[in-house]
Amino acid sequence: MSGVINFRDEGIRPQGGVALLRVQDLRVQLPTEDGVVRAVDGISYELHAGRTLGIVGESGSGKTVSALALMGLQPKSARLSGRIDFDGRELLALDSRKLRALRGDELAMIFQDPLSSLHPLHRVGWQLVEAIRAHRDVAKAAARERAAELLDLVGIPDPRARLRAYPHELSGGQRQRVMIAMALANEPKLLIADEPTTALDVTVQAQILALLKRLQRELGMAMVFVTHDLGVVAEIADEVAVMYAGRIVERGSTERVLSAPSHPYTWGLLRSIPRLEGGAAGHGPASGAARDSDRGSVGELEPIAGRPPSLISPPSGCHFHPRCPYALPEHARVDPVLAPIPGEPSHRAACLLESAVRAALWSRLRDGESVEQARAGVELVDIAAPPGGATAGLANEPAGETHG
Amino acid sequence: MAEPLLEVRGLVKHFPLTRGVILQRQFGAVKAVDGIDLTLTAGQTHGLVGETGCGKSTTARLIMRLLEPTGGEIRFAGRDIAHLGGGALRAMRRELAMIFQDPYSSLNPRRTIGSIVAEPLAIHNLQPDRAARRRRVQELLDSVGLNPEHYNRYPHEFSGGQRQRIGLARALALSPKLLIADEPVSALDVSIQAQILNLLRELQRELGLTLLFISHDLSVVRYMCERVAVMQHGKIVESGAVEELYRSPTHPYTRELLAAVPKIPDDRRTIIA
Repeated sequence: MSGVINFRDEGIRPQGGVALLRVQDLRVQLPTEDGVVRAVDGISYELHAGRTLGIVGESGSGKTVSALALMGLQPKSARLSGRIDFDGRELLALDSRKLRALRGDELAMIFQDPLSSLHPLHRVGWQLVEAIRAHRDVAKAAARERAAELLDLVGIPDPRARLRAYPHELSGGQRQRVMIAMALANEPKLLIADEPTTALDVTVQAQILALLKRLQRELGMAMVFVTHDLGVVAEIADEVAVMYAGRIVERGSTERVLSAPSHPYTWGLLRSIPRLEGGAAGHGPASGAARDSDRGSVGELEPIAGRPPSLISPPSGCHFHPRCPYALPEHARVDPVLAPIPGEPSHRAACLLESAVRAALWSRLRDGESVEQARAGVELVDIAAPPGGATAGLANEPAGETHG
Repeated sequence: MAEPLLEVRGLVKHFPLTRGVILQRQFGAVKAVDGIDLTLTAGQTHGLVGETGCGKSTTARLIMRLLEPTGGEIRFAGRDIAHLGGGALRAMRRELAMIFQDPYSSLNPRRTIGSIVAEPLAIHNLQPDRAARRRRVQELLDSVGLNPEHYNRYPHEFSGGQRQRIGLARALALSPKLLIADEPVSALDVSIQAQILNLLRELQRELGLTLLFISHDLSVVRYMCERVAVMQHGKIVESGAVEELYRSPTHPYTRELLAAVPKIPDDRRTIIA
């Protein structure tokens, strides 16, 4: 990685004071036997205190690796570049001792599987006391008192008695509550949650999401919430970043991204998800042949063709172009930039099609047209098209060259 | 009303809890399935939803006769199969097939795709002619959207979604009447999940399959099924036509389940300023 700065996301907008967390052109490369995996390939975002950013993506999109990098929890062999500013400190520049002091204190994390994140041979109370005393110079008795308080805070009944429980004696939902209690032990400024409800039943998931929302309000912490579930994002996040093949392809307020998505990958995701009520927007037409009168959904799901690319040799240009039904030949050569959508400065998408073209496509999809119909009805115009060479919207590097 | 293909009456499965090593004394039982009734109409897709431990997978295993029921009746095409054994059981199993949640552990890693899909044919000694069997397997691979030329490849060369397709090809090898799908898409990413759901819908229509679709995901069940039964603690608490049950659930547990699903705002109704 050379010193050349290549902001995929230029012009980070100032918004009501200094961001608590600011990530700039973060890259994480993992050397493996088969080659270097570009797990995170230049992402930028910022997050203010008290807000929640949802990072969504499929397996291998880099969402978890990017979250782990915030905590400095990447594998030893990983190569990181870019910049992470957290509350006035540059995290990538901190030595491991300083980072350790931050982790579990101002920065905390909860994981998908609470059973493997809790020590099976220690009582819950002991583990909580340890988490508190690792960062605070308090007596054991006081720490124990605080531990009981924390269990109470996360809604575990009879907290004093539960301090004596072992993790295996708790249900999945209760274990996740204990994990949350532990993460909150020192009132972190930022909580990173990696698929914390994925392993839980839907009723328990609803409880945990409600708990996280309440705690966030009470403690005023910021949250980075990693998930594959757009429904969960709709429930919990203020802003959302959609990741594909190591890059953020779309970012904006949750409401905007889910109701007026601007990237073909986001459209594809939304059209792939069966809905509980109504006909999902952007779902395909309810054609006679496809429709069984008694069956639930209105239209057919229209899946994204193909499957996510290898991050060892990702496709050139726009990483999504091989699966994108609207891709033009140019898109295999040019890297898109995460650029604001005209009139919506906080809503950004990394797509090489004109934003007006994208708006026209989405409005057709939303009205029930199939991908094919929408494509036939809209002339695909490239932002790369204007005559006279390079345009402002393109990455400032020779076409065809990949990052590295 | 079409003929029911499968009728389950008062099906019970209790797993005994025992104490002691040599003299095992029973002191209780886990009532995994505790007296359920289920009727599957031929050619339809029936959903069975519920949360972890509600007994939905045990029900599937009982119908497949992978487990011995403690009590009750399972009538398949008019015949009680709850206690069949030996040759009669083997013959019955040609008509039933199952696909599983985990596409990684349900395929033998040491066997080629061709031999995995051909195995049901081999077990039942159908199409003993090698060329004919190979043709049939390639037809099956093609019907689930796999390249028939991948006959000699091994499971590790395929992604999760493709492995689920292989499992499906194997399940369809004997042209079963009833296909039981136990959480077939839970392990898959959303974009791949939709591909498999559409494939299942298509095959069900084409082959006139009766499908028992087991899932914890109410939205997926709505997409796939005409009828649905909601299970809790080994019992069916509510069942009916999908649209009706989702629109006006009567049991409090069904209501709780439906309310707990995180919803994506319906973009079609959103007015964009």
